[in-house]
Amino acid sequence: MQDFTPTTDETEIDRRTFVAQTGAATGVLALAGCFSGDDEEDEDDPDAENGDENGAGEDYGDGRPTIEVEDPPNAVYLPTHREAMRMLDPVEAGDIMLGPMLSYPHDFWTIAGTGEDAVERESPNSGRGVHMMFTLWDQQTGTVLPVDDGVQIRVYDGDEQVGSPVSPWSMISQEMGFHFGDNVTLPEDGTYTVEVTIPPVSVRKTGDLVGRLDERVSATFEFEYDDEFRHEVIGGVQYLDEAEWGDRGALEPMDHGDHGEHGGHDGHDDHDHEDEHDDGHDHGDHDGHEQDHGDEHDHNGHDDHAHVPYSALPQVEEYDGTILATADDESGADGVPTDHDSLPRSDDAAILAALFEDGSADAERLSDDGDGDVTAGQYLLVSPRTPYNRVPLADAALSVTVERGDDTIAGPDAVLAETLDSEYGIHYGLVVNDAQIEAGDSVTVTIDSPPQVARHQGYDTAFLEMPPVEFTVPEQ
Amino acid sequence: MTLPDRSTLSRREYARSLVAVGGATALSACLDASSDENGEENNVPSGTDDLDSLPARQYAWNEFAPRDDNGNVQPPAHHVLLPLALTERATANGEPTADAREVTESALRTLERAYEWSTDGLLFTLGYTPAYFERFDEDLPEVVDLPEPEALTSREDPSFDEFDALLHLASNHPEVVLEVEEGLFGDQEEPERNGVVLESDLTEVFERVDENRRTGFVGDGLPVEHTDVAGVPDAVPEDAPFFMGFRSGFDRTQASEDHVTIDSGPFADGTTQHVSSMDIQLEVWFEQENHYQRVSKMFSPEHAAEDLVGDVGEELGADSGLSDERIEATAADARQEGVVGHAQKAARGREDGDPPLLRRDFNTIDGDRPGLHFVSLQHEIEDFVRVREAMTGADLDVASANNGILHYIFVNRRGNYLLPPRELRALPAANPDA
Ligand code: HEM
Ligand SMILES: [Cu+2]
Repeated sequence: MQDFTPTTDETEIDRRTFVAQTGAATGVLALAGCFSGDDEEDEDDPDAENGDENGAGEDYGDGRPTIEVEDPPNAVYLPTHREAMRMLDPVEAGDIMLGPMLSYPHDFWTIAGTGEDAVERESPNSGRGVHMMFTLWDQQTGTVLPVDDGVQIRVYDGDEQVGSPVSPWSMISQEMGFHFGDNVTLPEDGTYTVEVTIPPVSVRKTGDLVGRLDERVSATFEFEYDDEFRHEVIGGVQYLDEAEWGDRGALEPMDHGDHGEHGGHDGHDDHDHEDEHDDGHDHGDHDGHEQDHGDEHDHNGHDDHAHVPYSALPQVEEYDGTILATADDESGADGVPTDHDSLPRSDDAAILAALFEDGSADAERLSDDGDGDVTAGQYLLVSPRTPYNRVPLADAALSVTVERGDDTIAGPDAVLAETLDSEYGIHYGLVVNDAQIEAGDSVTVTIDSPPQVARHQGYDTAFLEMPPVEFTVPEQ
Repeated sequence: MTLPDRSTLSRREYARSLVAVGGATALSACLDASSDENGEENNVPSGTDDLDSLPARQYAWNEFAPRDDNGNVQPPAHHVLLPLALTERATANGEPTADAREVTESALRTLERAYEWSTDGLLFTLGYTPAYFERFDEDLPEVVDLPEPEALTSREDPSFDEFDALLHLASNHPEVVLEVEEGLFGDQEEPERNGVVLESDLTEVFERVDENRRTGFVGDGLPVEHTDVAGVPDAVPEDAPFFMGFRSGFDRTQASEDHVTIDSGPFADGTTQHVSSMDIQLEVWFEQENHYQRVSKMFSPEHAAEDLVGDVGEELGADSGLSDERIEATAADARQEGVVGHAQKAARGREDGDPPLLRRDFNTIDGDRPGLHFVSLQHEIEDFVRVREAMTGADLDVASANNGILHYIFVNRRGNYLLPPRELRALPAANPDA
């Protein structure tokens, strides 16, 4: 087992550098005990709307918040509650940072394929244990790693291994974005050590990731499982108004107060934790992060350094290429999406498509995965993400057909290679070097299979049966 | 050593749990348990004095095992893998002595006299590691492909079998594998079976490497008897022969014994053996995935969509229902279906349509966790490596969690062995012809 390597002030990247390099990880959560401090206050806080009537906090051993939403839409929807969790200090695993987050064992949905039968709801049969989650990111670039090549966890109670090893699911949640996680049953209260091993990241990599993250690495962290923990993560659950359950919309990323862009749930029961962060910054804006954290978050004086990036992809305007227009929009260039909300949807996934011209810095970077045998050309980037929070939809299979009149310029059904770029994050891309895509061409993106990632409540009914999306290349 | 609690276990469960424990006390408890079922001493058919009547291949087991209604070999139910290290006194200049050879051969002959060569009696193989053959100045003949074991996937960090030899004991009777082990390595009075005293001086030659001793079981209904073990959920199907809930090792998906045989040189009628030991995560498999998902991941998405498998594979017969098209469609399924099956993927390692591996894997609860000891015979270790690569499927455009059963298996150890022909099974030189 490796040494426990907590992040110290020395190992933590300078905040400014970090943000400057973040690229794909536009949101950085400052998770300094957001819940651990607040819940206690919640209990005596007469203003807290999630008080006693929801029953959470009575029996921490088994009590799990209710999760039933009747007839949720086939789209992203508001769950019943906001999860509470304990953030632990991030630990180092070679070039990778790992930010552990622990909650109570709760429902989620696994997916293995394309049809209805391929989706299964996991309901933990024991309240004893944790929903163990962690986010992985590259220390150097801040890029969240939304891909799984076989991460493994082993839980120890002292020298004794607890249960069998687990391969955590890659998962998406509205609050945590992309993360790895699973429900892990624990036999009793105590201090547990978790060993995480991360194999080489084998997805196609570009930019500052070329030739990196090629080693198998591991890290360990410890946590306490006790009444205090259960109090924190079950007692800290915040219920939305029942009237909002199942409404289209999404919870804001943890610690992000920019609910203005989140459609469905403006002005609902925001709790004090959110108010604390409602400090006037535009959290959705990638450049505004410098001020986001560090100062206003040391509630209880612990976890001050638990900065875990949220996996949001860049905003539309941050792509330095031609954003493709939606095809069925008659107005041509006017159909070019200008912001996240105007992106076309496929089973509620927002799909951004951008074309980078031959010779541009982006096209050169994105064409070069270090293999050396691909000549640069134009680069077509397709980036499916969740509506509202811009969480990347990884592990789907996409292909593309580019047509000009009756001529096929690329394809039919050319494979878009899943690619992790240090600037634009995870996307699906094609180097076009034996043809030239031009204004007026039609670009049809087909989703061969939907994102094979497990989902927390609110993402379980979307991104499953995804129809193709048609774009056109606008005039410059 | 604590024995399992008799009162809470069925007779079969109890006997099996004793194999995992091992030793003289376990043996006598096991004998008691197996004779008190109907008050009779239970019968194990005796062996032969005519050793020439036995097959030339140590791994000639199939002819001596029953077949099910579909013609699939039913492997012996109970297994022990005994790792062995040569003692100082059995070697001179590192190489085994002629005496040591004789002691070894005579111990094995004793077993053949005591037990019928069959699943009802005793089947066994004695294999040797590359580390063993290093002892000799000469190299193994070129036709023998026996590299050092190595990690075969990017996610694993296994330990390696670096001792000298591995004795694989197998029988349908748990007490047989126990008493053989006890007879060979126990320090109590020698057991007797069918008029043969199981005495031997094998401890002069070999030390048992206790921390790598492995045990296990396979057969319909055996896995479900272990739901008391942490990590083995109640959802393990009643009839399943393997922990993951499906039949495996069909007649037409296994290599024949002929196929895996080395056919020339001094080790003709020998073969190579790969042994890997792994944990299996059964709780997630059974509690977080449905049958449809499990069938997709174990066989193929088409098996799931067309309901070809049944609960545990009873719909399948003598093969796994993989047409050539289904095997060739693996890469396309990865993209179009988002999931590929283990069997479908591994079958890409077939050569001219023939499966190259003869799998003799069995379930285990060693370490009080569910797992699998994957024993595989093939002409060359290279065949195993190639098939394992096909099974890993790094080339496939599919999420790791949907890449067959990779999400559920955790390899801890690997070892490579040569199983010499019976004639050369006792401490062979690297090149007996030289
Ligand atoms: C827990 C572990 C495993 C389980 C439960 C398992 C189960 C199965 C099942 C149910 C089948 C289909 C039925 C059959 O054809 O026998 C199969 C086929 C197969 N498996 Fe596994 N298996 C496991 C591990 C492995 C490993 C480690 C290998 C190593 C390469 C492997 C190689 C194969 C091969 C070669 C086939 C047959 C492919 C063909 O039809 O040509 N399996 N396995
Ligand atoms: Cu999760």
